Amino acid sequence: MRAGWLVKFLLTSSLAWSTLGGFQEEPFDEHLTLESLRDGKVFSKFSFTTLLKGVSPRDPRSLGNEDIAYKDQHYTVFPLALGQILREYAVTELHLSLNAGKWNYDRWGQPEESGVGTGAELWTWMGEGGQSSIDERWNGLRNALAGLFCASLGSLNEQRTTSPALSFVPEGQLPDWGIPHQIRHASLPSENVCTENLTPFLKLLPCKSLSGIAMLLNPHRLFDADWHGMSVHVLWREDEGVQIRLMFQAVFDPLRASPAVKKQDWSFRSIFDRTIERACPVARSSLVTVTLPSSGAYAVNPEPSSIIAGLAQFDITNSSTPLDISLRWADNFEYPVDFDAPLTSLSVQRTLRGSSQAHGQLSVVLKNHRAEPLSVVYLETMPWLIQFFLHTLKIHINGVPTDDAMSAMKYIPAVPHAQPATFQCLLSIPAGATMHLNVDVAKSFLRYTEHPPDAQRGWDLPPAIFTLIEPSQNGSLEASNRRIYTPALLLDLATPDFSMPYNVIIFTCSLIAFLFGSVFNLLTRKFVVVSANSDKKND
Amino acid sequence: MLFVSFLHLLLILSSWAWATQASQEDDVRNFFGTSSEHTNNWAVLVCASRYWFNYRHMSNALGMYRTVKRLGIPDSNIILMLADDASCNSRNKFPGSVYADRGRHIDLYGENIEVDYRGYEVTVENFIRVLTGRMDPSVPRSKRLLTDDRSNIFVYMTGHGGNEFLKFQDNEEISAFDIADAFEQMYQKKRYNEIFFMIDTCQANSMYSKFYSPNILATGSSRVGENSYSYENDNDIGVAVIDAYTHYVLEYMEGINKTSHQTMADLFGSYDVTKINSHPGVRSDLFNRPLEKTLITDFFGGVSQVEVSPPPSEQPAQPPSQPPSVQIKEEQGRTHLRAETNRVTLENVKEKLGQNVRSWGALAIVGLLIGWVSTR
Repeated sequence: MRAGWLVKFLLTSSLAWSTLGGFQEEPFDEHLTLESLRDGKVFSKFSFTTLLKGVSPRDPRSLGNEDIAYKDQHYTVFPLALGQILREYAVTELHLSLNAGKWNYDRWGQPEESGVGTGAELWTWMGEGGQSSIDERWNGLRNALAGLFCASLGSLNEQRTTSPALSFVPEGQLPDWGIPHQIRHASLPSENVCTENLTPFLKLLPCKSLSGIAMLLNPHRLFDADWHGMSVHVLWREDEGVQIRLMFQAVFDPLRASPAVKKQDWSFRSIFDRTIERACPVARSSLVTVTLPSSGAYAVNPEPSSIIAGLAQFDITNSSTPLDISLRWADNFEYPVDFDAPLTSLSVQRTLRGSSQAHGQLSVVLKNHRAEPLSVVYLETMPWLIQFFLHTLKIHINGVPTDDAMSAMKYIPAVPHAQPATFQCLLSIPAGATMHLNVDVAKSFLRYTEHPPDAQRGWDLPPAIFTLIEPSQNGSLEASNRRIYTPALLLDLATPDFSMPYNVIIFTCSLIAFLFGSVFNLLTRKFVVVSANSDKKND
Repeated sequence: MLFVSFLHLLLILSSWAWATQASQEDDVRNFFGTSSEHTNNWAVLVCASRYWFNYRHMSNALGMYRTVKRLGIPDSNIILMLADDASCNSRNKFPGSVYADRGRHIDLYGENIEVDYRGYEVTVENFIRVLTGRMDPSVPRSKRLLTDDRSNIFVYMTGHGGNEFLKFQDNEEISAFDIADAFEQMYQKKRYNEIFFMIDTCQANSMYSKFYSPNILATGSSRVGENSYSYENDNDIGVAVIDAYTHYVLEYMEGINKTSHQTMADLFGSYDVTKINSHPGVRSDLFNRPLEKTLITDFFGGVSQVEVSPPPSEQPAQPPSQPPSVQIKEEQGRTHLRAETNRVTLENVKEKLGQNVRSWGALAIVGLLIGWVSTR
């Protein structure tokens, strides 16, 4: 009994050391960026990053054996639900985004987080090998994420999955196991994003929405925003480990809330209807960055901790007072003359032309706003509903037909009812030029059972993705991870009259019953004469 | 000869005594809970219609979801199927919210909701797969109904329906026979202890007329040939926000909390035909327990019943005194212990013991008398 205090001391010290060590091995950072855009809207970006130090993704060749590596399975801050899914399917890099709205590149510029395509988009890099194929693991991963995020990702089956390796370069690094890695990409533009997707997202954070920056995530305001998107990114860097980044981006409109007086002012109260009450105790750093406007008289409350290069930083890592940041202007808001002038080097517009339900024309217009030529990788992952006639592909630069603007084309044609088309090519646009790309398409006539329940609405076509080619560190040109997404297109396909099978059955059965009944009666019924006098007696 | 008849009489009397002892075993069984024998609760809430003008069906299902969560069933035990997105619909003037009354007092969507099947995933096939448990191995856990033979399941369906059918997304329909067969499969595979089936559609009572498995209690909102009507519109949302039957059921349920002892008979007794504008019906012939003894929280709440035996006393030779049965209710992390001793008490057991002694004693006396008479 006397040694009992020693045992207790050792236990508590080891516990304390392991928990402290655990926190140091899994640093959690949260960051909120706010920026007032030119057209009066406010862009906010929440970023929650957890790093699992010294951990590497699971080798797919070890999938048959039990996963016994201790460090890879014991998490303190890293979300266990997501970690288990990543280990189960041996995923190296994962990007899932659920967005709603149309990102206006001309007014809001290129976002830091490139995945702003409407609807659900999921792409992963997985290693080949082991006993289960990449497609089987992709299937399992989709369904597991569908269950985790309450999204219908299970329908991202082989009819929506492609493998565009050139457009989606890994954001992190791929481990050197001697086996090739493959990419799988699928998107569902008609996916709705709502509170049921935000609920599990918040549950993956260590402090949930009870403290720290995540307190501001109010679904009633977030889903009222002009554009909002939620994303999960998992990547690996050799010198760091496995990093998971949960992000929520939204573009709010303070002008909509104040219709009478056009004021661009915003505060946490006015945008999120919440304030940050307390800091998350587990966070290594909790920062709020406000991009200070370059013109106009304004005031920022409260005083920022530091101002660096036009960015006001608020460090709330250890604060315990409620924080409500506000930015107020002295004058009313007026649209600047250039509020619609493009902010990116490339503007894209994609439309589906034609009034027939049998064929149409896909038309893409690209504008290079830079003073030097631009190269982009153009990717179309078109479902099999649209069949390209590639021989009709025509490119015009400033109205002049050109033959050499497109190179390095990779085309995997669609297989009807099975596989989408992958069309990937490299386009070079001269400085300041406008390029028109037109290709004839044929629209399918679907089978009766393939129509969705709301067939008259049409089908959403996934966005076209343009990956900018930029010079890398060693001078050569390679695809960057900055991508431009076009809006989704709505495709109107010919729908049958769904009541016809019922009509045919009823009509045919009635006819048969009528004919058979008449013949049967004629053959079997006996006609007898009944005297009328007996009726009169029974009055 | 006399000896043989004496033995014959003894045999008859002993079998009668054995019968009384057998009834005593029933009492012992009843001691461990005269009420339901379930240990966990599940809920399957289905809204089968899509489009904005069917907002009221989504708020029906969400109202039931909120009630069932409030009374204790956790999200992991609820399968919520919503065929369309009403709350983040671009037509919704109040994004992120679904309301069930004019004036918008309670937000049913809230900030903590998990919808398991949404949009195009709400199909007849998926519904029957959820009930029977026959699904692809890749289906995640949150979309499965992982019930066992001690689970009470509350199945709620709402949408547009007719005589023995319910429309799913205006595209396909499920018939009363399909649901009856699915429940029979569940019975055969021991996937439920008791099912409470509630349906709010036009001609809803026809949907439960085909059940044939035991331990199912069913109620519907209107008779065959009758429509079920919506309750009220909200002028800012622009459509009808709740159905009359579900509105009155939810209004009744607002008075229920986790410790409530209101029974199913009370709930069915609260149906008011003039207010609901249709004749709700109840089917209880397949249900073994009397409705006056069936608590509402047996189906709507996550209340479980446990037997707790007290710690062993100082002298282990002494037989432990009869443990009172308790009900442990969990509430937000705190546990309340409420001993309920009115079920079986010490006096009751003593009485049973006395009865046993008396029956065997009577047998012995009669046997002795006959023996004495025969030997005289």
